[in-house]
Amino acid sequence: MHVTPAQSLSSSISRNLAGIGRALRALFSGPQSALGTALVAFFFILALFGGQLAPYPKANDQSHDARVSPTLDIGSLQLGAHPFGTDRLGRDVYSRVILGASSIFRIAGLGTLISVVLGSALGMTMGYRGGWLDELLGRVIDALLAIPALLLALVMVGIIRNLDFEINSWQAALADEVTLLVIAILYIPVVARVARSAALDIKTREFVAAAEIRGESSAYIVFREILPSAIPALVVEASLRFSYAIFLVASLGFLGFGSPPPSPDWGLMVNENRGGFYRLTPWALEFPALAIALLVIGVNLMSDGIRRAVQKGGA
Amino acid sequence: MTQLLDVRGLGVSYRMGRTWLRALREFTLQVDAGQIVGIVGESGSGKSTAALALMHYLSANGRIDGGDLRFLGEDMLAMDAADLRRLWARHIKLVPQNAGAALNPSIKVGRQVAEALKAAEGIADERADQQVIESFRDVNLVDPAQVAKRYPHELSGGMQQRVAIAMALMCQPDLLILDEPTTGLDVTTEAVILDLLRALISGRGAGVLYITHNLGVVAQLCQRVVVLYAGEIMEEAPVAQLFASPRHPYTLGLLSSLPKAGQRKARSRLQTIHGNPPDLRSVGAGCVYADRCPLTIEICRRQKPPLEEVEPGRLARCFRWADVEFPAARLAPIHEAAQAEAGVAGQMVMQTSQLARHFSVPRDLVDMLRGRSPKPIRAVDGVNLRLRHGQTLGLVGESGSGKTTLARIVIGLEARSGGKLELFGADIPGDLRSRQQDLLSQVQMVFQNPQNSLNPYRSVRQTLCRPLVKLRGLSAKAAEHQAMQLLEAVNLRADYADRYPDELSGGEKQRVAIARAFASQPSLVICDEPVSALDVSVQSAVLNLLADLQDEHGSACLFISHNLSVVGYLADVIAVMYLGQIVEVASVDALFRAPSHPYTEALLAAIPAPDPSQHSERILLSDDLPSAQDLPSGCRFHTRCPRNIGEICGRDEPPWRETGSGQGIRCHIPLDELAVLQAGAP
Amino acid sequence: MILFLRRRFVFFFFTYLLSSLMIFFLLRVLPGDPARVIAGGREATAEQVEQIRSELRLDAPLPQQYLSWLGDFARGDWGTSIAFRGADNRALISERSINSGRLALVALLLSVPLSLALGVIAGLSENKLPDVIISLLTLSVVSLPEFVTGLFLINIVALGWSGNPLAEALGWWFPASSAVPANASFGEMLPALWLPAFAATLVMLAYISRLTRAGVIEELKRDYVRTAALKGIAWRTVVLRHVLRNALLPTITVIAISISWLVSGLVVIEFVFGFPGLGSLLIAAIERRDLPLVQAIVMVTVSVILLANLLADWAYAALNPRIKLG
Repeated sequence: MHVTPAQSLSSSISRNLAGIGRALRALFSGPQSALGTALVAFFFILALFGGQLAPYPKANDQSHDARVSPTLDIGSLQLGAHPFGTDRLGRDVYSRVILGASSIFRIAGLGTLISVVLGSALGMTMGYRGGWLDELLGRVIDALLAIPALLLALVMVGIIRNLDFEINSWQAALADEVTLLVIAILYIPVVARVARSAALDIKTREFVAAAEIRGESSAYIVFREILPSAIPALVVEASLRFSYAIFLVASLGFLGFGSPPPSPDWGLMVNENRGGFYRLTPWALEFPALAIALLVIGVNLMSDGIRRAVQKGGA
Repeated sequence: MTQLLDVRGLGVSYRMGRTWLRALREFTLQVDAGQIVGIVGESGSGKSTAALALMHYLSANGRIDGGDLRFLGEDMLAMDAADLRRLWARHIKLVPQNAGAALNPSIKVGRQVAEALKAAEGIADERADQQVIESFRDVNLVDPAQVAKRYPHELSGGMQQRVAIAMALMCQPDLLILDEPTTGLDVTTEAVILDLLRALISGRGAGVLYITHNLGVVAQLCQRVVVLYAGEIMEEAPVAQLFASPRHPYTLGLLSSLPKAGQRKARSRLQTIHGNPPDLRSVGAGCVYADRCPLTIEICRRQKPPLEEVEPGRLARCFRWADVEFPAARLAPIHEAAQAEAGVAGQMVMQTSQLARHFSVPRDLVDMLRGRSPKPIRAVDGVNLRLRHGQTLGLVGESGSGKTTLARIVIGLEARSGGKLELFGADIPGDLRSRQQDLLSQVQMVFQNPQNSLNPYRSVRQTLCRPLVKLRGLSAKAAEHQAMQLLEAVNLRADYADRYPDELSGGEKQRVAIARAFASQPSLVICDEPVSALDVSVQSAVLNLLADLQDEHGSACLFISHNLSVVGYLADVIAVMYLGQIVEVASVDALFRAPSHPYTEALLAAIPAPDPSQHSERILLSDDLPSAQDLPSGCRFHTRCPRNIGEICGRDEPPWRETGSGQGIRCHIPLDELAVLQAGAP
Repeated sequence: MILFLRRRFVFFFFTYLLSSLMIFFLLRVLPGDPARVIAGGREATAEQVEQIRSELRLDAPLPQQYLSWLGDFARGDWGTSIAFRGADNRALISERSINSGRLALVALLLSVPLSLALGVIAGLSENKLPDVIISLLTLSVVSLPEFVTGLFLINIVALGWSGNPLAEALGWWFPASSAVPANASFGEMLPALWLPAFAATLVMLAYISRLTRAGVIEELKRDYVRTAALKGIAWRTVVLRHVLRNALLPTITVIAISISWLVSGLVVIEFVFGFPGLGSLLIAAIERRDLPLVQAIVMVTVSVILLANLLADWAYAALNPRIKLG
């Protein structure tokens, strides 16, 4: 058997996968993190198959009686016609809550993914190369982090949403995904900082010096020598980012800076039904709020579990 | 004589996940008042566990498995927390390993010591302060009143250790437990602390338990020795008898694997103990040493040998203790030719002239605007060295002397700030990236820390194949084949190829690292403290391996170590470094026969000989190493030099003097005068 | 020590300049014409856009715009509000800042002692029952989005409590809305502060207590704790005199960092409770496209955050003997 670079990469991946497998087992060994992971998995299934699971898969279906009380009977597990009731416009709250899962997962998930990939590459390269570029970028990141994420997100979303773009232009397409992009942009520096400090630590280890005296290129050293050892730290950071992203998406939606009105955004649904409407249809606020609460709790418990598992498992 | 401590059959376990790790088993020991008992063991032998267990102090995940622990007849295992606290406060004191970490970083040391005193005697603050200063004076701290007002981080390692000793001794304990009190200190500082301990202990009548991995320290300090291995006592004996005629194969192995004075690689190989210590999670029914023991017979694997009295006052845990004998001829001559060859002037491999590395301390903006810059740190400062083909140049010096920086400059990991570096007769650029592929393959390095020198996500096979492909341009298939040969060359079985670093022991990792370094068939191998992180029992095998591979490839070697006996075994020429400068260069034989520079003299005298019959006259160095940012004027060694001849030493840089035979020193005192001085030394 | 303070100050200054640069350019570099955004987007007429452009000097080169903007900001000339019909931005912001400051103060006074206590208790009982309860609490309930807890407080606590006979007897109830006049005095405002301050407390609680817990656990593992215990002093003394001294020192920095957390939280909380603070002003300014006002608010916020960090660094240095020469 001889080893090609692809094989060596795949074996380093499989080694990481083995680590992740161990971590997964560790995740389910604690009751808290098992509960969290189960909650997240539940909502993830809703996000994937919401269209099939919701009784009324059209988000703005106003064909029902308005202000129907929830028909859900927990004692007998009967759903009834409108388990979570209908809102003042006659929309089925149960369907809307199920449909809302997909946007929050897509925005928070993709935003986190983009920020983790780009932030890791940036941070690792900065940390390994050092020098003035690292110094400068480091300062820029510090300055960016001084502005609270929610404030930046509000300002950026608020401005971009008010711009006039030509219909079907690429700018307009981007503007539709503004929340996703803002999350990615906001978290790139945060992830970069974590990746940078991981790289700074790992590059002092002697196997990196051994690669240097072999004349390996910077890219080889960053991605082949340093990256594998940084993956545990990055996984922890990614799970943390994801939980903050969920939080942020929900908050933006609530403040009216998320998806525009007819969409079944949980935060938006909470906002639309507070104040005087709460007296009329409390369920239209309570169920989306409950969904947000459960998802946030789940993600938090899971990410704490991931952190523990990775720290305990070592490599 | 009062018996202070009486331990019988004590066992201690630690929880590791779901299993219990039995770190100490059937530990039996008696300590009388006025007695100094040594416990020696390698890492993982349970010696630190023993130190704490004997005080009945356990970490949160520890438990006592059974046995009996009595102090002055009182059952310590039955004591409640208050009784134990009283015992700790007044009767049993621990001097911990690594005093820097054992002191609270945010409390002034004087107050920390006073707290111990108050707990012991309940006296008023003012008198306590007075006594603290008194005790600091007893441990030879200069200006004790000032030291008391400092925080731990403001003291050097040696001073921290003195504070810890003062804290333990001032309460006049009946039993003093010292847990590796000099580990981590430089050999010169260690010598001073050991001397101090010897003076303080004698005449107090306290019982002392000295725990260490260093056989030399035991030989010089203790009266009785307990040898611990994998959590069990292997042998217990009066110190002279243990060193003269060990009764356990493990003790014998340890003693004979140390390089002896005068032992050279050209004349004899080091004795080794093969294999690795057992995994404590799976200790079988038999003797824990059976897998590594040359005397193992069938019963050893089946049944645990008892700790039995083999001679009056001597215990050993071995069925075959009667067969354990020191080999008669210790220095078996081999390689007569190689030695002759080393002396012959070969081709020049490395030559440095006035090589320097000055680190500039980072400036901040305000300094930049004012145009000021802080003094640079002169880590390497004008070094001239030569290394010829096939030769081994040993580089010794205390930590902070610049040895590692020098090595990193040569290999290109560190840029130089001045001077010239020639490798294989050609001028070499400082920057690693501008070095040619060919040059890279000619110079390789073995690093200090086996834990970090292999990428944890690469199998041994991948680690070894990469340099073969990258530096020697082999095809993947040929590299594969070569890698297996390399593995064989470093005495690892073929199935190690698919292991990952976390499945290897420290010694095995270092073998793989050595194989990687030799993969490109380098002409120059730089070894930076390659065995300092290894236990004695695996160290000798790695040293043998290095010597063999070097001999086979005809490579030159720059061997860096703080351990003079290791360097003495492996090197042909030794360079002694102090604060960035070379203070002496000499052939090994010349250096050990007549050390010339006062610093070399002190280094040699500081080594505790692993032989109780040999007492070297110590030359104690004052103070600790000055900072490389604020170097002493004139001769850099004059602040600590025992042979300081006055004003000139502090004023003028000493000249480099050479004798005809290639020995050179940097000192104001002429060589012949030094020789007279040293011959007449008391 | 002096060197350290100086270095931190230089760092503060740099970061501050860079953030101002970013705040300025963020709103300029984004695709689109700021004048048109302010004028009302698509519906604005060309004249309106032109007028705003000249009013705000938007036709000058960008670097020049930045310098004059920064100069104006430093001098205290923050312009007049577009959204609030010519109100002076500075007066507007300072009035709202005071209100937010009151809210933040109450929240800090509640949360810091509480979260330190919880963190220490959890740390000292690592993996035992109190720790499990506290960590479950901080991980779940306390880390909910502010608007969820805020709405819970309004709808369940305030409304539920108001009809309660006990509340009638005490004569004390929580107002369901904190929409008090912006210029109310602290005393008048106080009843309206409790609920939003409590919501803000929860925001800080999770963060500070978890880091405190980690600090305590880390310090407990250090060698000096063993040294102290083996002096024969009581465990309580070991914890109080040795462990907490080292474990609580870094929380100074933690609290400063969590100020940034608090600021984000306050934006949402003020919006939920209708409280007239800086956060609700910001949302109004963004909704009404008042870019100069938005910039000024963000600058003020960043100033507060950076200043808190600088002071924390200095305090940390003053209390930590290990930082002497820096």
